[in-house]
Amino acid sequence: MIAQLFGYLREHSVALKWIFFAYLAFTLVFDFFAERHHAHFWGDSVIGFWTLFGIFGCLGMIVVFKGLSHVWLVKGEDYYDE
Amino acid sequence: MMSNTIFMHPAAYFIIGAMLLPFAKRLKLQKALLLIVPLLAFYQIHHLPASFGICHFMGFELTFGRVDKLTYVFLHVFTLMALIGSIYGLHVKESGQHMAAFLYVAGSLGTTLAGDYLTLFIFWELMAFASVFLVWYRKKKRSIEAGYRYLLVHTTGGLILLAGIFLRYHNLHDLTFTRIAVDGATTADYLIMIGFMLNAAVPPIHAWLPDAYPEATVTGAVYMCAFTTKTAVYVLARGFPGFTALAILGAIMTVYGVAYAVIENDARRILAYHIVSQVGYMVCGVGIGTAMAINGACAHAYAHILYKALLFMGVGSVLEMTGKSKLSDLGGLYKYMPWSLVFTVIGGIAISGFPLTSGFISKSMIIAAAGVDHRIFIMLMLSLAAVGTFLSVGIKLPYFIWFGKDSGVKAKESYWNMQLGMFIAAFMCFFLGFYPEYLYRMLPYPVNWHPYTSYHLSETFQLLGFTGLGFYLMVNYLKPAAKSNLDLDWFYRKGALVFMWLASKPIGKANDWIGEVYRTIGYRFTLAVAKAMSWFDWEGIDWVLDGSAKGVVRGGDELRKLQTGKIQHYIGGAAVALCIILIIVVLI
Repeated sequence: MIAQLFGYLREHSVALKWIFFAYLAFTLVFDFFAERHHAHFWGDSVIGFWTLFGIFGCLGMIVVFKGLSHVWLVKGEDYYDE
Repeated sequence: MMSNTIFMHPAAYFIIGAMLLPFAKRLKLQKALLLIVPLLAFYQIHHLPASFGICHFMGFELTFGRVDKLTYVFLHVFTLMALIGSIYGLHVKESGQHMAAFLYVAGSLGTTLAGDYLTLFIFWELMAFASVFLVWYRKKKRSIEAGYRYLLVHTTGGLILLAGIFLRYHNLHDLTFTRIAVDGATTADYLIMIGFMLNAAVPPIHAWLPDAYPEATVTGAVYMCAFTTKTAVYVLARGFPGFTALAILGAIMTVYGVAYAVIENDARRILAYHIVSQVGYMVCGVGIGTAMAINGACAHAYAHILYKALLFMGVGSVLEMTGKSKLSDLGGLYKYMPWSLVFTVIGGIAISGFPLTSGFISKSMIIAAAGVDHRIFIMLMLSLAAVGTFLSVGIKLPYFIWFGKDSGVKAKESYWNMQLGMFIAAFMCFFLGFYPEYLYRMLPYPVNWHPYTSYHLSETFQLLGFTGLGFYLMVNYLKPAAKSNLDLDWFYRKGALVFMWLASKPIGKANDWIGEVYRTIGYRFTLAVAKAMSWFDWEGIDWVLDGSAKGVVRGGDELRKLQTGKIQHYIGGAAVALCIILIIVVLI
């Protein structure tokens, strides 16, 4: 039964995508109303700071770590057996 | 010590339980025993006096039980985890695996309760020697090899720890295990700290963890992910709070572990690397050393044990049912193993710190403690690691196993006991998220922290949401491939090959040549000297040392007869030997 639910959701991935985008918009709107009592540093007082941190942090990590893996670290699975 | 206090020690339940397991199996009571022992221990930890099991041995005062709030919170989660692990492994028939797991838990509990360095060291080594069997029981060539490497690295760490303990005793004539002041720390203390850090998998001495854990048995990995590193966090929190080196190394760990979790392919290797990242938060909290940070480290250890075990149980179910754990071999499993998916995703959102899960109420404490202490760079590193956590373990891992391309792998849903184990862990993830006071009350210092503020919620919503967007944009770039990545274990794995080459080629050649010289010139002379030396060794030194060398040789010969080459016999022997040692130590 639950497998069918997942199947149903997969078939409606376009709707899910828009719900997800709506959620992203909501997080930004929510940030306007969040109370900023305990700012630890300047970023805490910038609206949308964690949005930028999240997206650039995520993309930056993928590019840097995948890049490092690609040019240097990656080896075949039997590397140590050879 | 009176014998009745033996039964006070929760580790004793597990050691005795381990020895009874083969008999219980004969009587078809193994499953019952597997449940009774952790339940008894979980009951027992609530009734421990502040101090017990103090005994004198060869002029040392050993303290087997020292209980305060810091001890209690770790005992609580260790015994709970032992119960969950037992339930998850109920279907495993081999008593040996369960014995190894029980002895491993005993080592962890014993270390946590130890009030002095000698007791700590005994249980510390028990942990290493018991857990390696959880790797070897997988019985594949790779597991055997990884197990030996694991053992060698931990033996080295143990020796460093022992050197620190000896040096400390030499300097202070005191072996009580208490907090070490930051400005009074000596070489001895730093050696002890390095020994602890090795078990906490602090880079550059972390590579044993992602090397060994993915090669462990399905149930073995569930135990291993919970105990070794978190026991190390406990001893660091007990001995070394406020050491800035730990704060910096911890922050590096969080990002380091995540980096490999993003690029690795084997699901259990991803999770193993992610332990490095998560333990980084705790090590960092210990290094910051304020009441809030220590609370955060303990809370995070508690929450982490449950959700990381849940994740290992989830991918362990897939491995058990399909025989596969590489993301590149899997995909589309949602049709066949939907409940494992649900539980794994709960583990994934908890580890990512979704509101209403345990990660939200624990991780935030450490990050906020870094902020309050004006360590902004560390705070941002921890936040970045949180982004990477959701990316690698929260989304990538479940997506490529259960969705992604359809790999054609078909499987049945895992056994009922595995699902029950996952259910309990998943329940705890939400329970702690909904009701954080349950955990906060157990923490060593009074808690003045409210996770559910609008700002903190807003921060989390954005971080997680836009990490999700990042994955959505880059999903093709993240597709898994059947590859593996180099790490610092390269130095000893390839270094060993260089050593073997040196030993076989140049050194071997030189040896032959020197042997030739000896044979022609110095043979007689050497023989005479060797004879004299050996007489001195055997009679002279032995006379000084009270005949112990001869005794050891005799003992060794006896021991050799006992070796049968069967892993079950070894572990049984280890359990019996340990028990005898314990009884001798405790009763004298």
